[in-house]
Amino acid sequence: MSLLSNTAILLGKELRTEFRSRELLATTAVFILIVLVLFSFAINPGTEEARQFAPGLLWLAILFASSLMFQSCFLREQSNDTLSSLRLAVSDPFAIFLAKLIANTLFLLLTELLMLPFFAIFYNIPLWSKLPVLILVLFVGSLGISIAGTAISAISAQARMRELLLPLLLLPLLTPVLVVSSLVTASLLDREPIVQWKGIGFLAVFDLIFLTALWLFGEYLLEE
Amino acid sequence: MGKRIVLGAVAILLVIAAAYASLYIAPEERTMGVVQRIFYFHVGSAWAGLLAFFVCFIGNLMYVWKREPKYDWLGVAGAEVGLVFTTVVLITGPIWAHPVWGIWWTWDARLTSTFVLWLLYVSYLLLRTLVEEPGRRALLSALFGIFAFIDVPLVFGAIRWWRTQHPSPVIMGGPGSGLDPTMRKVLFFSGLAMCVLMAFLMVERYVLEKMRSEVDILKREAEAQ
Amino acid sequence: MKNLDSVFAAYLIGWGVFFLFYVSIAKRTSDLRAEVERLKNALPRGK
Repeated sequence: MSLLSNTAILLGKELRTEFRSRELLATTAVFILIVLVLFSFAINPGTEEARQFAPGLLWLAILFASSLMFQSCFLREQSNDTLSSLRLAVSDPFAIFLAKLIANTLFLLLTELLMLPFFAIFYNIPLWSKLPVLILVLFVGSLGISIAGTAISAISAQARMRELLLPLLLLPLLTPVLVVSSLVTASLLDREPIVQWKGIGFLAVFDLIFLTALWLFGEYLLEE
Repeated sequence: MGKRIVLGAVAILLVIAAAYASLYIAPEERTMGVVQRIFYFHVGSAWAGLLAFFVCFIGNLMYVWKREPKYDWLGVAGAEVGLVFTTVVLITGPIWAHPVWGIWWTWDARLTSTFVLWLLYVSYLLLRTLVEEPGRRALLSALFGIFAFIDVPLVFGAIRWWRTQHPSPVIMGGPGSGLDPTMRKVLFFSGLAMCVLMAFLMVERYVLEKMRSEVDILKREAEAQ
Repeated sequence: MKNLDSVFAAYLIGWGVFFLFYVSIAKRTSDLRAEVERLKNALPRGK
């Protein structure tokens, strides 16, 4: 069976598993909300400066939420050793990663979209007119977070102190995504909005580089 | 053993010579004065650190391909030595910045990127402490090391772009600014001295790791009896 | 020449870091050598 059909089947499994309970989506969404609220207590939320910090805070919240979200990615395969069955079922182990990272990107994007109205209200930022480009930026950024997160999840699942290790490994790696996504979002939501295509291009390059690395080295991450 | 001692001696001599060149041969910089001489030590260490991390990266790739322990030893040696040189960069940066701008940390693009680089390789070493079995530890850290190294240009690129949006004091003129020819020679000599020192420290660290690996095997034999 | 102090501080601290690193390697190496001796003595007895 081809890579695409394997991936499609596994992707279906990932999505069905999640939508049966929706626990990952719910907890991630609530976590982002909590972080946004807590940030408001840490800064003065009504001011013009807060409006400038807000995009950075949004991406920071997304990053923290994702480092929790990816914990279960490979851990859930350990309980019944479903990982071995998965590896036997597919000819190309990359299909496993591809399915997981697509699923993770979708979950992240979904929770971000759920949070956007709250973000707009808390920080008094009108989003509606810039929504299409904003969704594009969220997508390219979340894709990068998912690719790296899925890879790191496979690593930390095999080590001790995995709950703390995953963010420790993931967050420094995602510095470029945080920096560029915040900048692009900030200038998009500015009083005089500008679309920074260079930034979006950079995020796309980040995604491509890490996807290629995952493709080249993924099978070793799954070794017994 | 003899070769290692010679390497060490050469390294020490070169480092002292480079220091002399930086302090007495290089011309004084117009705007910053004598403080700018830290630049030769600071930039030389940065190059040596990056080179060490590159060697770590090669070791990581070779380990994933060949699975021979010696590549794992090369990886950890490269990471630790690279981290030492990067630490020196992060210490000399603020020492330079403070007299010139009155602040310790200027969020200069290269210094900030170096800090992220430092965090990446600290994570690499922490990962190693959290995996017991040597084979698994070698493989997992090699894979993370590969991801970390390919991230390095992305980190530097992203932070440089960030700094163009929010400018702040730059510790040394950007890549465009010309360098006096004598300064350039002293800089390259300083870089060379640092790289030889790096090579010496790496050899020592590699030998230590090799020995540790052999002791582990001996320990296992002893326990088996 | 207050700033000259900074230059010397930078060099001394930098060299200090390298020296400390080397010393830590040397110490770990000699500790290991002691352990190798201990283990080599323990092994033949077991046989």
